Amino acid sequence: MADLRQFRLPDVGEGLTEGEILTWLVAVGDTVAVNQPLCEVETAKAAVELPSPYAGTVTDLLFDAGTTVDVGAPIITIDTGGEGAGGPAGEAPAPSSAGGRTAVLVGYGPRTTEATRRPRRSAAPPVLPEADYGSGAERPPLLATAPDVTVKPVRHGGLEAGRAAEAHATVADTEAAAPTSAVPGSGPSRPLAKPPVRKYARDVGVDLATVTGTGEGGVVTRADVDAVRALSDRPMADSPVGTATVRTEVALDETRIPVKGVRKHTAAAMVASAFTAPHVTVFHTVDVTRTMKLRQRLMARPELAGVKVGPLLFVAKALLLATKRHPMVNSSWDEAAQEIVVKSRVNLGIAAATPRGLVVPNIKDAGSLTLPELAGALADLTATARAGRTPPADLSGGSITITNVGVFGVDTGTPLLNPGESAILAFGAIRETPWVHKGQVVPRQVTTLALSFDHRIIDGELGSRFLADVGALLHDPGTALTF
Amino acid sequence: MTDTLTLGKALNLGLRRALEDDAKVVLMGEDIGRLGGVFRITDGLQQDFGEQRVVDTPLGEAGILGTAVGLAMRGYRPVCEIQFDGFVFPAYNQIVTQVAKLHARSRGRLPMPIVIRIPFGGGIGAVEHHSESPEAYFAHTAGLKVVAVSTPADAYWGIQQAVASPDPVVFLEPKRRYWEKGAVDPGATPGPLFGSRVVRGGDDVTVLAYGPMVKTALQAAEVAAQEGRSLEVVDLRTLSPLDLEPVYASVRRTGRCVVVHEAPVTLGLGAEIAARVTETCFHSLEAPVLRVGGYDTPYPPAKLEEEYLPDLDRVLDAVDRSLGF
Amino acid sequence: MSVLSRTTELVDPVPGDGAPHLPAQPDLVQLLTPEGERVEHPDYSLEISAEELRALYRDLVLVRRWDHEATALQRQGELGLWASLLGQEAAQVGAGRALAAQDMAFPTYREHGVAWTRGVDPLHVMSMFRGVDQGGWDPVATGFNLYTVVIGAQTLHATGYAMGMQRDGADAATLAFLGDGATSQGEVNEAMIWAATYAAPVVFFCQNNQYAISAPIERQSRVPLYQRASGFGFPGVRVDGNDVLAVLAVTRAALAAAREGAGPTFIEAFTYRMGAHTTSDDPTRYRLAGELAEWELRDPIARLKAHLSRTGLADRDFFDAVDAEGDELAGRIRTGTREMPEPTGTEIFDHVYAETTPELDRQRAEFVEYHASFEEA
Repeated sequence: MADLRQFRLPDVGEGLTEGEILTWLVAVGDTVAVNQPLCEVETAKAAVELPSPYAGTVTDLLFDAGTTVDVGAPIITIDTGGEGAGGPAGEAPAPSSAGGRTAVLVGYGPRTTEATRRPRRSAAPPVLPEADYGSGAERPPLLATAPDVTVKPVRHGGLEAGRAAEAHATVADTEAAAPTSAVPGSGPSRPLAKPPVRKYARDVGVDLATVTGTGEGGVVTRADVDAVRALSDRPMADSPVGTATVRTEVALDETRIPVKGVRKHTAAAMVASAFTAPHVTVFHTVDVTRTMKLRQRLMARPELAGVKVGPLLFVAKALLLATKRHPMVNSSWDEAAQEIVVKSRVNLGIAAATPRGLVVPNIKDAGSLTLPELAGALADLTATARAGRTPPADLSGGSITITNVGVFGVDTGTPLLNPGESAILAFGAIRETPWVHKGQVVPRQVTTLALSFDHRIIDGELGSRFLADVGALLHDPGTALTF
Repeated sequence: MTDTLTLGKALNLGLRRALEDDAKVVLMGEDIGRLGGVFRITDGLQQDFGEQRVVDTPLGEAGILGTAVGLAMRGYRPVCEIQFDGFVFPAYNQIVTQVAKLHARSRGRLPMPIVIRIPFGGGIGAVEHHSESPEAYFAHTAGLKVVAVSTPADAYWGIQQAVASPDPVVFLEPKRRYWEKGAVDPGATPGPLFGSRVVRGGDDVTVLAYGPMVKTALQAAEVAAQEGRSLEVVDLRTLSPLDLEPVYASVRRTGRCVVVHEAPVTLGLGAEIAARVTETCFHSLEAPVLRVGGYDTPYPPAKLEEEYLPDLDRVLDAVDRSLGF
Repeated sequence: MSVLSRTTELVDPVPGDGAPHLPAQPDLVQLLTPEGERVEHPDYSLEISAEELRALYRDLVLVRRWDHEATALQRQGELGLWASLLGQEAAQVGAGRALAAQDMAFPTYREHGVAWTRGVDPLHVMSMFRGVDQGGWDPVATGFNLYTVVIGAQTLHATGYAMGMQRDGADAATLAFLGDGATSQGEVNEAMIWAATYAAPVVFFCQNNQYAISAPIERQSRVPLYQRASGFGFPGVRVDGNDVLAVLAVTRAALAAAREGAGPTFIEAFTYRMGAHTTSDDPTRYRLAGELAEWELRDPIARLKAHLSRTGLADRDFFDAVDAEGDELAGRIRTGTREMPEPTGTEIFDHVYAETTPELDRQRAEFVEYHASFEEA
């Protein structure tokens, strides 16, 4: 039975891509032995004989003498008669240069590869890199068809808990460490999150340690952070017990809400304030009709076009003017240094109820702003806070605060100081109230101001005088000329 | 019974133990016999063990390493001394093409239990080519193992373990620390040679160092502690293979990592470590892995050396940067 | 320019009559002329039996047959390359047969003739050139180191090994093979310095086959290579590398001297590389056909055949039997090469270290998983 083998033109000199068949040394029908020269091929300078890889009968010479042939092209067919004396039994022709490789001085030479992806088996997992699965989780076995991850998310107090680690072994400069090493810090592993998510959480004020991670291995995702933010999506005045549905264990007669996020922060701030500074509150009820009329006139002015001119603007301006006369109210108590720090600039904080809860952004150096500038700053501050986009810088560094309880319809209150400050002014709703005006009882626009202050710094006299000045300015805005 | 020894003396004792333990151990190098070595690391050894076992060689690093290969093939355990780091390069051919590959290419029939001792690093106010940090060239070569000791105890045990290793070990000795003292207990049980070690516990930033920079890192940690920061310092000890599991455990707690070495930053070991720590601890990182190293310049003249080398301030600056992210 | 021009201004450092490059007789140890005549040399003699002579002939023929088959197989794509020893059979067989069982040989990458004398299976050499491994034989068991591709590096290994033999008090020596080009490598010179300083029992066997790829010997040295040895402080001798008897005698003497503690010898076996450097080299670019023709007249096998015939030490039947054995050997090599099992990928990771590392194990596992993820090709 015929067993036809083909011999392909090999490269016989460094880097040849083609060769000319000079002479055939055999003819069709000839019997050839292994290594018997088949033809002469021209290289750069000399003719090279090509030895036959097969023993058998020549059945076909594929090119005429004098033809230039590409390396790798079959040039002769030999019937080895099935005896396999020459080539490997039952296989395709010997590779020779059939792989398309051009031999070089030191080896087979380069192979051109296909520019396609090799087909993969179905249901094969991608090669898993060394993933970070937290301190307790198992790394999946490499050859499993599905990752078998034991998820043990570790959540503690994050940085704070880490700092409370146990004693460290210290190696002195010139002393050798004993072969047994120093004890590593023994704080727990930190929560897992990709760096962008970590930053996002920090920017929006979410403590990662308070978030359940739903990513693989307990990794906190951006969505997880957003879920925590959405939790506190209601105004501050609402009762915390009510409609929360996420992550509450539903008992028959009570609802439990985990303390986290902004609520946790606010609670901590209030505690810090209330139990550090001795609070005193003084009240002043003021007829602010003249200010309201002034407001109407100013709203029409071009300087204040397109800007909200509300009562808050005038209260803020009054406070800023009064602070000039009583700078001590713009200060803070430094317990560690045993000093009262009087600030030269007023960073005016405005308490804002936002979807996330209570935040107190402040306007830096509010005292240097003109009325239109102050109006604009207040408008920006409010809009930004409502959108939940207050930058962290604006949330720190405040020196005195106004809280507007009037928007909710209440008259007054006893506000708690923003930690680090020594005075806070609350003003209530402006109501039409019977008032003695020019000897008659007539309806007037009346509001109540309440000033809480830190009695370590501000005595009753100072607090009262300050509040009286604020009231005076709101009662008769013209007196601003005297400040 | 604990002694206080200089790092150089600890090496000397360790080599003596190695020569005593195995008759096949042969030390070879320039000036190591009669002179006892330019740093006296081999002081007294030729006197006690003879010229066949402590060999003063002709001047040629390739000759030292090439004949070591032949001796290893014959069943000996050569310990080659390269007099200074900057002079290892004539031997680089034998180290990379032969020492590193013979075990693999012979399918294990030709083991290469060769130790190549190299005093490395700067800080001794030296003239050119005596202050190099060539470890990356060797760590990048498959078939070699590379370690860097930092303390006398490390040196005493490490050299014995390296000599006992069936694989070739590039054994880096921090020459600026040769005269510094530390406790060595010859009766103790040493930890493994190819393991890193936490040398100071901390919580805020993980600082990695090896060889001469370990002391620098510890000094930085001490100052940091006074500033209210807690640094965990890890002595890497083995550069190939790297033992990073303790580092990963540390970074998972601190979230921050700084690598310190004298070698130039670009393509130094810090780059490899940064890649691995980032890949493995990605979800724990508060900051990118930072590297403190030499500048990408030839090692400077002695008068400028201190401006070139990483020091306590540069380490702490990197720590600050890390904490600032 | 078809051929590198000779720098004819250079004073021919190898003076001699006859064909180019053939030195005068006193400078060249010869015991068997190219015509097959036994001649005497004042310093070297050889007692050899008829049986041994016939055995040498058989060695030469079979080695050449193997080399011929390997070249053909490369042309057929079965090997990546082949470094032919054509023309150097006598230098290699003569040197190899001088080795005692306890000696150790350090070849370059062309000493297939020496491998033959050490009992290395030719297929273990073929596997290296096929790209299956880096040499399949056991260097310790055969007394024949693996091939070294970095030029000259093995001369230091041979010297170090000899220093080990000294420490063992062994009655043994090493034979360091190198080419003419290698004598320019710094490490080769360091090997000779070390060998001289320690009187190490190493013999440097340099086959000066006149070319280092395309660089002629004049490019490597201004003095005859055997004279370099005196610069290092030990004897050098030049032998007719195509004379198997002279090579055997000189190498035996040098190895004996080394074993006795006399230190190294440098043997320059003056021969010619009849083939190309490796199979993809084109020697026509740098040497003239006339040179080959002249060296063909000095063929190592022809002279021994002539001697055996003329002296009646071998007859037609003997020569035919050797040729037949050659065909059989060639067939075995051909089949064995073609049927050589392909290596398994994980071999890359085996033996990198005596004690593996966790990272390497991890990479190995990753490698296995990666390749398992593809459909069968």
